[in-house]
Amino acid sequence: MKVAYEKPPSETPSEFGLSPKEKKELYYLLLKCRMFDERFRKLFRAGRFAGTYFSAVGQEATTVVPSYKLLPQDFIGPAHRELGCNIVRSPLKVIAAQIYARANSPDKGLSHPCHYGYKPANIITPASTVAGQSVLAVGVALAYKIRKEPYVALAFVGEGGTAMGPWYEAVNFAAVHKLPVVFIVQNNLWGESVPARLVGAFEDFSHRADGVGMPGVSIDGNDVLKVWETTAPAVARARRGEGPTLIEMKTYRWYGHSEIDPADYRPKEEVEYWKKRDPIPAYEKYLMGNKKLTLEEKKQIEEKIDKEIDEAVEFAEAADYGPVEWVLGDVYADFKADAPDRP
Amino acid sequence: MGRVITYIDAITEALDQEMARDERVFLIGEDIGLYGGVFKATKGLQKKYGEYRVIDSPISENLIVGAGIGSALVGMRPVPEIQFADFVSPAMDQIVQQAAKIRYRTGGAWSVPLVVRICCGGDVGGGLYHSQMNEAWFVHCPGLKVVMPSNPHDAKGLLLAAIRDPDPVLYFEHKRLYRSVKGEVPEGDYTVPIGPAEVKKTGKDITIVAYALMLVWGMEAAEKLEKEGISCEVIDLKTLLPIDKKTILESVKKTGKALLLQEAPKTAGVMAEISAIITEEVFDYLDAPVMRLAGLDVPPIPFAPPYEKFYLPTVDRIMKKARQLKAY
Repeated sequence: MKVAYEKPPSETPSEFGLSPKEKKELYYLLLKCRMFDERFRKLFRAGRFAGTYFSAVGQEATTVVPSYKLLPQDFIGPAHRELGCNIVRSPLKVIAAQIYARANSPDKGLSHPCHYGYKPANIITPASTVAGQSVLAVGVALAYKIRKEPYVALAFVGEGGTAMGPWYEAVNFAAVHKLPVVFIVQNNLWGESVPARLVGAFEDFSHRADGVGMPGVSIDGNDVLKVWETTAPAVARARRGEGPTLIEMKTYRWYGHSEIDPADYRPKEEVEYWKKRDPIPAYEKYLMGNKKLTLEEKKQIEEKIDKEIDEAVEFAEAADYGPVEWVLGDVYADFKADAPDRP
Repeated sequence: MGRVITYIDAITEALDQEMARDERVFLIGEDIGLYGGVFKATKGLQKKYGEYRVIDSPISENLIVGAGIGSALVGMRPVPEIQFADFVSPAMDQIVQQAAKIRYRTGGAWSVPLVVRICCGGDVGGGLYHSQMNEAWFVHCPGLKVVMPSNPHDAKGLLLAAIRDPDPVLYFEHKRLYRSVKGEVPEGDYTVPIGPAEVKKTGKDITIVAYALMLVWGMEAAEKLEKEGISCEVIDLKTLLPIDKKTILESVKKTGKALLLQEAPKTAGVMAEISAIITEEVFDYLDAPVMRLAGLDVPPIPFAPPYEKFYLPTVDRIMKKARQLKAY
């Protein structure tokens, strides 16, 4: 991978240094994201829930790290591969229930697996028109600007979504008005089966920012500390009212678009190359090298996570589907839909 | 006799009063600030409320609506404007996939109190891209409410009701009515509820159902037909989604004949739905087939003046169709 286009963030990384405790917490969250994801791939293949499952394995750093240490009022506009944002901000049980589409899901089972959203976490359940939530995030940021509130919105999209007209309208407007929003473009090289080279006429998608007069930076999205050192200053800058930033994070989707996609359109060598660039072992090595994490602690963290996942799965599986009458509610606040032919 | 103002002044007054009453309300759209709107619906408001409550947007309809939706998620009361209904197509994704579905897809956790003002309608020489009536696109989207006033009183009252509604409302305003229709409008605060239709004229032979310009022309036709001995009951639909079935069905049960007027192309329009409702629910009361008089099934609306007249369901055509229906 080449990172040809990189502008330094305006602050020095040390200003945004994480404490040893926070670095370990970040490790726990990254690992939780990975272990939950791998577990749910297995559960899907075992037929334990309907629909499909959109794995984000390999992309943990690009979602977990930017979501870390935000304020509760900060808003996240995700697409469908932003499990990591939810791992940081939502209870694991809620995430599991969403995938199982049972009565205890925050969307009551009305949406689709991996369309995670949870109001207490200020993460909006996404639509499948992937750039749409970037537009919403800009609207949220506009509200914060109008009300002079010190909150920010994070807009997540893949490199594929940046080709959508609405995404361009959103980044342009955010730049014009210096809105408190950070656009995170996770370039995982594939938009379902379409390679990034057919989506943008450049290697670095941060060039998308050039045309709208917004600072843009491309970084290694699998380098946990690099992601933190780039995102935190961008968030702080937005919070100070100095405007939006576009951060391209180069990463990789290990598996198919969803679990029903064998992803055999990708060269094997490419997949192997990126699996060697796994963000989590690299970060683990850093922590252990700096004596911030021991093997014993790692084992304890893994056990703790396993238990949490067990509990989340039990919570989801113990619930029934909602009553079919729920299909008719939540269309409007003040009346339900009719169903005269469904006695 | 109360104060009489135009349809467009009623809209401006509603926006002004609600912005003064509720600081969460803001406007965003093309040419609405400095210029005061291409039809002057927002005249003077930016000067009064500032450029972050009346925001001049770039030509970005998706953003205009989407930014409104996003702001509504965190407690604002946005009123984005789509300058011409013909330009709403770039915003379809936000209206259909976001505004209409957010309450549903979040299990009721989030709501979108948003009003999209959409300037629509023909008989103004606007041609293919400044005349369209595309309300039916949205009537097919559960989760939205769609309203369209035909007079200044309803224009103000429905707009105030729409801004205070917890769900997304598409507020269509007919540009042909902006300055051609005047009426009594209370100076103070009032709302016209979203949902109910209104019987504008009682009659016994034929029920005419219409809204916006077709309502105005339908009323004119009905007055003339009265002199010919044809008694029409005229219903102003006002809200197109949800449809007030009760008012329509009660009238049709009385008259046994329905004439449905629609400015948009005929096929799969709002009146196709009204026709289906009538035949499904009060078939036994009908003395004649339900008749529709609508725009033509051509891209609306061809420009050259004789073409536009040919396209529109004019007063003469309404009268002719009513006579056919009476004689059936």
